[in-house]
Amino acid sequence: MVFCTGCSCLCPDIRIENGRVYNACRKGSSIFNEKKRAKPTVNGKETDIETAIERAAEILSSGNVAIYGLDTIPIEAQKLAIGLAEELEAYIDDNSSFCLGDFVEMILRGEIPSTTLDDVKNNAYVIFYWGTDPYNSLSRHLSLYTYYPRGGKRQRGYEEDRFLVVADIRKSHTAKLAKKNARFIRVDDDLKLVESFIQAMEGKAPQYPDVARVLSEMKKGYSVIFGGLGLKYGLNGRYEEFTEMFRRLNEITEVYFIPSGFHSNMRGFNELLFEKTGYINRYSFKEGVSKAEFEFSRLLIEEKIDSALIIGSDPVNSLPFEVSRKLGEINTVVVDPLNSLTSMIADVVIPSALTPIGQGGTMMRSDGVRVKVEPLREEEWTDVKVLTSLKEMV
Amino acid sequence: MKFGKFIKRAVIEVVIARNSHQGEVADNKLSEKFREESAVIYLHPNFAKKMGFREGDVVVLERNERKVNVRVRYSETSPEEGGMMPNSIFSNYLTDNLKGFTASISPAGGELSRVEDIIKKI
Amino acid sequence: MPITPMEVYKLLPKTNCRKCGETTCMSFAFKLINREKTLEECTPLFEDTKYSSQLKDLQNLLEPLKEATETGLIVDEDLCSGCANCVVVCPVHASDDPYGMGSGLGPTIDDPILRIEDGVVRVVNMKKCRRYGKNRILCVACRENCPSDAIRFLEG
Repeated sequence: MVFCTGCSCLCPDIRIENGRVYNACRKGSSIFNEKKRAKPTVNGKETDIETAIERAAEILSSGNVAIYGLDTIPIEAQKLAIGLAEELEAYIDDNSSFCLGDFVEMILRGEIPSTTLDDVKNNAYVIFYWGTDPYNSLSRHLSLYTYYPRGGKRQRGYEEDRFLVVADIRKSHTAKLAKKNARFIRVDDDLKLVESFIQAMEGKAPQYPDVARVLSEMKKGYSVIFGGLGLKYGLNGRYEEFTEMFRRLNEITEVYFIPSGFHSNMRGFNELLFEKTGYINRYSFKEGVSKAEFEFSRLLIEEKIDSALIIGSDPVNSLPFEVSRKLGEINTVVVDPLNSLTSMIADVVIPSALTPIGQGGTMMRSDGVRVKVEPLREEEWTDVKVLTSLKEMV
Repeated sequence: MKFGKFIKRAVIEVVIARNSHQGEVADNKLSEKFREESAVIYLHPNFAKKMGFREGDVVVLERNERKVNVRVRYSETSPEEGGMMPNSIFSNYLTDNLKGFTASISPAGGELSRVEDIIKKI
Repeated sequence: MPITPMEVYKLLPKTNCRKCGETTCMSFAFKLINREKTLEECTPLFEDTKYSSQLKDLQNLLEPLKEATETGLIVDEDLCSGCANCVVVCPVHASDDPYGMGSGLGPTIDDPILRIEDGVVRVVNMKKCRRYGKNRILCVACRENCPSDAIRFLEG
């Protein structure tokens, strides 16, 4: 058995036998395929890895530096990256600043109650997906952790022991599963949905009429809301009403929140940085504070940095083009096991190992539970070794 | 009657969403598979038919003078009056946030855009 | 799309000649779909040339029967995301493997009906399916919980 690192579900039950991958979903199983690996390069020319690391150290030793990515590498490597940022007085940021970081922060600050996926499996009655389509992003979420499995107090199967709610602007694949004993709420305004819960609790007719039924189901006990990017963009930073909704719901019943996150170890990075600095992302070690303008995209657009170390992420693919264009103008070091689009524009490419193929380590699930990932085989140049060497040289 | 076939250009809202099949092929972004799964716009069949776009058509999406050729695929999971694209360099060439964007859509001859062509502009 | 007995019936001779051993063409249509009868047992279809175009349509209509398993289940792997909803909801899996598939995990038994291999659902042992054999029931739990229509049944 091996853990899958395809997303923040970190499925624990993957078997690999005779070249076949068992139990992993479509996206997860692709992690285990043989892949074309990256080669060390400097200015597009192939070289040995030591030379690449040396050149990377030179680049990162002067000017304003940002370290970015980090969400797919193990906690041990994330810790080294944070240490390197501290030493360089650099900025450090990950995907969470435009992804679900705000929700992780609210949980860590105790502003909304959270729980674990194991508890959900054993106890939860209402399973509420809000602005997220786990069928596509976290494919086994419903079958392994939430709606379908039998566990603890929920032994009678989904039709009797669970109530599914899906709120989205479109009838996603996940929304299609909301049939019997379930509700699909087509949302055009997420704040209005938040208000609807408050209205229903005050005995008024909610703007979204389905909320009355959902609330009455929630009163039957343990409920969990899984919030995704749709919810984050819908709330648009107006979290007071959202946390107020949770406070009031928990006066009358038991409602938890878990981010319906994406990258395999985003939460691990958020929690590490939070422990060290009190902030979860977009942090400047020079100024000792986190600010919106320290978000990696903004640092690039506003031309605040001279070089970037990108590890475990492919911003040229995943961030708006204007950001990539600016990235092309500065010195870029990429640490990645595979040939990414960012490595095509990078000055230095340092190949590393892929988790869990050639390296193991600790990863954190979307609910904050740590798992120890064992590698399938040991490779020499792990993220930990690359970052350790870099740190020694800068 | 296909009134839609007379529509040459329309402006639509596109949301960016995750897609399991696209996630599967993201380990080789220069592959043909990645291009086929990423340079794609999912349209609700009713909406697409109303506008006269058939499944498999190559269309051009244009926003702020940037253009991307993508393939039309039908999906009932798309917004009822709009499109949906997976997050990739193709959607990111047009958008300035990761939620979505408004773009014009019109028929295009020829091929899907290529990853390499966008990278060259960086 | 599932094949309905009515669609099949419309293309049969509709003479209730009983040459196939059934009392009506409608019951023959039902048994064709359940694969208890084969098209060849309707001899007039093949002997009388006036049925030749109907025969061709019937052969096309029944083509998917060949790819279906004994229970009429058809899996389209291309549509599957490997979510395993089907594996976990299956009542047979839940009772035979309560701490594996019944609890959301991969199978801990060797002969599950379905399992996820290389990211998509594969049929392993259809004989366990409740739709199979003499005391079968028309369970549709796996199909009902597949949001991408990767699982279908012939009879609908």
